[in-house]
Amino acid sequence: MGNRRRAAAFSHATQAVSGPTAETIKTAGRKHSICMVSDFFYPNMGGVESHIYLLSQCLIEKGHKVVVVTHAYGHRKGVRYLTNGLKVYYLPLQVMYNQSTTTTFFHSMPLLRCVFVRERITVVHSHSSFSAMAHDALFHAKTMGLNTVFTDHSLFGFADVSSVLTNKLLTVSLCDTNHIVCVSYTSKENTVLRAALDPEIVSVIPNAVEHGDFTPDPSQRNNDRITIVVISRLVYRKGIDLLSGIIPELCLKHPDLHFLIGGEGPKRLVLEEVREKYQLHDRVRLLGPLEHKDVRGVLVQGHIFLNTSLTEAFCMAIVEGASCGLQVVSTRVGGIPEVLPEDLITLCEPTVQSLCAGLETVIARQRSGSVSTPASVHARVRNLYTWRNVAERTEKVYDRVCGEEVLPLDRRLRRLRTHCGPVAGSIFAFVAVLDFLFLLFLQWWLPDRLMDLAADASGPFGLWRQEASESKSKAPSKRGGQ
Amino acid sequence: MEDEAYTDINGNPISLDCQKHCSFCREFTVSSPKMSIGKVMGYTCAVWLAAYAVFFITANTAVLTGAILFTLLGMMLHIHLVKVDHESVLVIGSLGIQVSSSYASGRETSTFIEMSQVKDVVINEAIYMHQIIYYLCILLKDPSAPDDVSRVVPLFQSSRPRLNCLVKVYKSCQEILSNC
Repeated sequence: MGNRRRAAAFSHATQAVSGPTAETIKTAGRKHSICMVSDFFYPNMGGVESHIYLLSQCLIEKGHKVVVVTHAYGHRKGVRYLTNGLKVYYLPLQVMYNQSTTTTFFHSMPLLRCVFVRERITVVHSHSSFSAMAHDALFHAKTMGLNTVFTDHSLFGFADVSSVLTNKLLTVSLCDTNHIVCVSYTSKENTVLRAALDPEIVSVIPNAVEHGDFTPDPSQRNNDRITIVVISRLVYRKGIDLLSGIIPELCLKHPDLHFLIGGEGPKRLVLEEVREKYQLHDRVRLLGPLEHKDVRGVLVQGHIFLNTSLTEAFCMAIVEGASCGLQVVSTRVGGIPEVLPEDLITLCEPTVQSLCAGLETVIARQRSGSVSTPASVHARVRNLYTWRNVAERTEKVYDRVCGEEVLPLDRRLRRLRTHCGPVAGSIFAFVAVLDFLFLLFLQWWLPDRLMDLAADASGPFGLWRQEASESKSKAPSKRGGQ
Repeated sequence: MEDEAYTDINGNPISLDCQKHCSFCREFTVSSPKMSIGKVMGYTCAVWLAAYAVFFITANTAVLTGAILFTLLGMMLHIHLVKVDHESVLVIGSLGIQVSSSYASGRETSTFIEMSQVKDVVINEAIYMHQIIYYLCILLKDPSAPDDVSRVVPLFQSSRPRLNCLVKVYKSCQEILSNC
């Protein structure tokens, strides 16, 4: 099963998302105005944030207009521009927990409507199921009759109370969303089950890695010893407890083994304890929090990359590790088996014994010198996941979505009540009606014609690009004039 | 020289008056409509009716006196501190920019910014209440660090004209600023 799925992932990596329909062909080549909504964006750091940023950059390169909407981070409020005219709205909404905003279903409506109207948005693309703002935006966009896309970045359980509740919310939020994107086939299965979706409207588009930033450099390695690199947040989900079991066991067997651990989190204490107990201060180095630009510098010092995650939708870290030419050892959980071809990764069960056995074989291989060179590993990985490919496939999703109709209110209510159960369905149908009435009130209170349309920074009429090309041709004369 | 109808961000009509005193001196005045007698009557009636209702229940005449004093004082403070009739920006090339606003009561305030402090005049976007609006502002610089913006002075803060009006003022301002 796993093998088949993995094989499918690779053949899909270069293929279209799904068979293009007649509508897709008709709308292909059209330029969209896309609004990316998520609670998570820079200056916060993480996978979702860089995904949104890099995907937006590639879509702008393809001539679409992209706007990002997120909540205010401290003093960073209002409107900002990033590279290539990527416009970011930092809306002043209250942050509740873990950088996610509160949701009341209504209070974010006036500002989001303002953004959608003044930017002439055609597609609303929300990211991450942890983000309340993303769900709010989906809800309002559907009320306003805009096409919606949702990208899920994480895996979820089914058993405990919190996941039961989140899954119900996800069902409500996604039952009338036009299209859903997942980052791996495991994640797709998970999302389809959690939200009771039709698998037809769920596409798989993996993440990508900036391979230019992750090039191997064997000269940085110290070949007298073998270095294992671990880069992850030091939290329970990333299996740091497993790591604390592996370190003493392997360090006793191999005196030339060194660990290099980058990242910060509550589980750092566990690792420090282990280091203290077994007197491994010279062999286990804890680097603390790393900035993204420093990650490569750490990766190239190692021979083996170790990932001990307990759950993972799509592991970017192992691709980055492989891209730097390291041997990758990882747990066989979530979407990880799909990510890399079999000969580039050693998969183990998420137990200390299995991971130790896996590491032993790789260490033995490393000693005998029978591993492929970093350059050849890099060459194989670099074409597997590129942002351009991700952008192309996302573009196809937009083309398809734009050909679909947004459900009018009566059919949306029927869909909510049939898909989400009698109780939750009725409650959310009521909320949808209220949202619609609120929209009518806002349209009366502040009509669309009173909102000034924003000047496009990116897209077909983007001022940024014209200016850039102009300044390129006129640069000398302009400088002379000043 | 007025040919376009301008409105503020809430759709109320405003008028823009551009005066060219000489080639390097221009004055822009944005005037909001006068306070309407209907609105004043409406508010006064509302307060008095509420006071009368309270009086009807409590039979205390102090409520009525309080309501009358409240409306009178409220009106006076409103025209003296809140209601702005005209806002004007006087740009004099090589000398500076004077920003002044005159209140309905006749009170006037003005500030003058020297040209050596002015970095630029730009149109910016801001989140205001529950909307996102454009506004015109003067960027100030510190003479010691001429590349940084030390402070931002927003213009037309009470009348809040829409983009078409701002663009017109912006273009005229830039004509003068680029020549000095």
